Amino acid sequence: MNEKTMRKAKFGAFLSRASVPMMFIIICALCIPIAGLSPNYLVNEIVTRMGRNSFLILSLLIPIMAGMGLNFGMTLGAMAGEIGLILVSDWQIVGIPGMVLAMIISVPISILLGLFCGKILNMAKGREMITSYIISYFINGVYQLVVLYLMGSVIPIKHGSIKLPRGYGIRNTVSLLNMRQHLDNLIPLNIKGVKVPVATFIVIAVLCLVIVWFRRTKLGQDMRAVGQDMEVARDAGINVERTRIISIIISTVLAGIGMVIYLQNMGNIATYSAHSQIGMFCIAALLVGGASVDKASIGNVFLGVILFHLMFIVAPRAGAYITGDSMIGEYFRVFVSYAVITIALVMYETNKRRVKSMEGERLRLDQEKEGKDE
Amino acid sequence: MNNKKKLSVRSLIVRIVALAAVIALAVILAVIGRGHTVYFDNKKLDADGTSYDPFYKVEVFVNDKSVAKLSEGDRGMVPVMGQDFKMVLHITPKKGSKKVGSAVSMKLPYNIDGIVLNLPALLSGAAEDVYMDEFIPTPTAEEETEDVVITDEFALPSDE
Repeated sequence: MNEKTMRKAKFGAFLSRASVPMMFIIICALCIPIAGLSPNYLVNEIVTRMGRNSFLILSLLIPIMAGMGLNFGMTLGAMAGEIGLILVSDWQIVGIPGMVLAMIISVPISILLGLFCGKILNMAKGREMITSYIISYFINGVYQLVVLYLMGSVIPIKHGSIKLPRGYGIRNTVSLLNMRQHLDNLIPLNIKGVKVPVATFIVIAVLCLVIVWFRRTKLGQDMRAVGQDMEVARDAGINVERTRIISIIISTVLAGIGMVIYLQNMGNIATYSAHSQIGMFCIAALLVGGASVDKASIGNVFLGVILFHLMFIVAPRAGAYITGDSMIGEYFRVFVSYAVITIALVMYETNKRRVKSMEGERLRLDQEKEGKDE
Repeated sequence: MNNKKKLSVRSLIVRIVALAAVIALAVILAVIGRGHTVYFDNKKLDADGTSYDPFYKVEVFVNDKSVAKLSEGDRGMVPVMGQDFKMVLHITPKKGSKKVGSAVSMKLPYNIDGIVLNLPALLSGAAEDVYMDEFIPTPTAEEETEDVVITDEFALPSDE
């Protein structure tokens, strides 16, 4: 009987975990034939988007491990990456060296921003997600101050193609044509018309290995302990606050590097908007892959990228076919990405409350039993 | 206590060395990754009382790829990375004459983005300041128009 209940509970937990990916698999399965896109095109798009987005989404795993939920503050790292790329574009450093230099420039900025974000999140324990979300808006203001007013006036910017005609501030779009897809095309591979960005996948694979290795290190174990129970971790001698700050710093630094990889694939920077959407889409993709606020794996990242972006590709065409208006499909994919985040957050809170009430119920039963025994 | 102090000194040294290595890497990247646009002019040039006449046809190869086929008065270009520049020129000096091959290698100046090379002067052995010039782009109409930068996505439409 006990075993049966346990099995039932396990199946229930699996269902609740797999419900979002299942829903997306069904949506994609319905939309793909309607969209009428060729399999080759779909595979090509998915492979490109995997290379473009996976690194960014992987940056979200470490704060989840440390129990800090979904790091909306990854936007901070994205801004650091953009600053690196703007400077490198102005200095005319091109190709792979330009990319690596942009990453190097982004790292100290990301560390500082991550440190700041981590310190604030330590003051708002239990409300990390909403706090990091609001911090991203705050830092966006600082970013705009730097990019719109200080660049060109205080920070030297030479090129007219980057600078606004008034003499300071950066244009809405900065071209990255001289480093566009340089990493993707570093090791060219074409399998039956599908362009595989081998070098980008190698970088992503290395990060996956680093994450697996990191989980086994002392710091990784500390993060998991902090993620499970902060008080127990503190009693065990772990410096909880420091561990949490480090997890946010690592996430922010990885997000900065990920943003450089993302933008080299795109070939241009939308200076004032690229970073603001990226956090939301990465988090939505991770959740679509079956991750939750307190549990996420590398597998969730890749499943999420495939399903989320598959929907991104087929939904507009399917919407156009069904309603005659492709904008319906656009609305659909935007609404779904926000809805997924909402559902995931609601499910997380519901589960947390259910676990708490179950624990309370168990305690009450135990006390009743003890009373009867006496 | 002493051990701890030793360890912290060691870790400080390791950190300083790591930081220095990263800075050195950044400098190396900034040098080897510096991009230039090299323009090739097959135009008549008069300098210091000497006249350099253009060739009938020139084909320019960089990294074994044909990047420009120039007739008299033409200009070609190629984006390159780094300061070591090598090109191979297939020159037809006069109409009906035989093609002549010539390999040219030179150091590009780090601080110039666009470098104009006058090929007739270069191949005649003229001084660097004669055959080399800086390309100064004139801003396009698009570059001169001010972008509308939206900085507040929550802004309400104004009544004005």
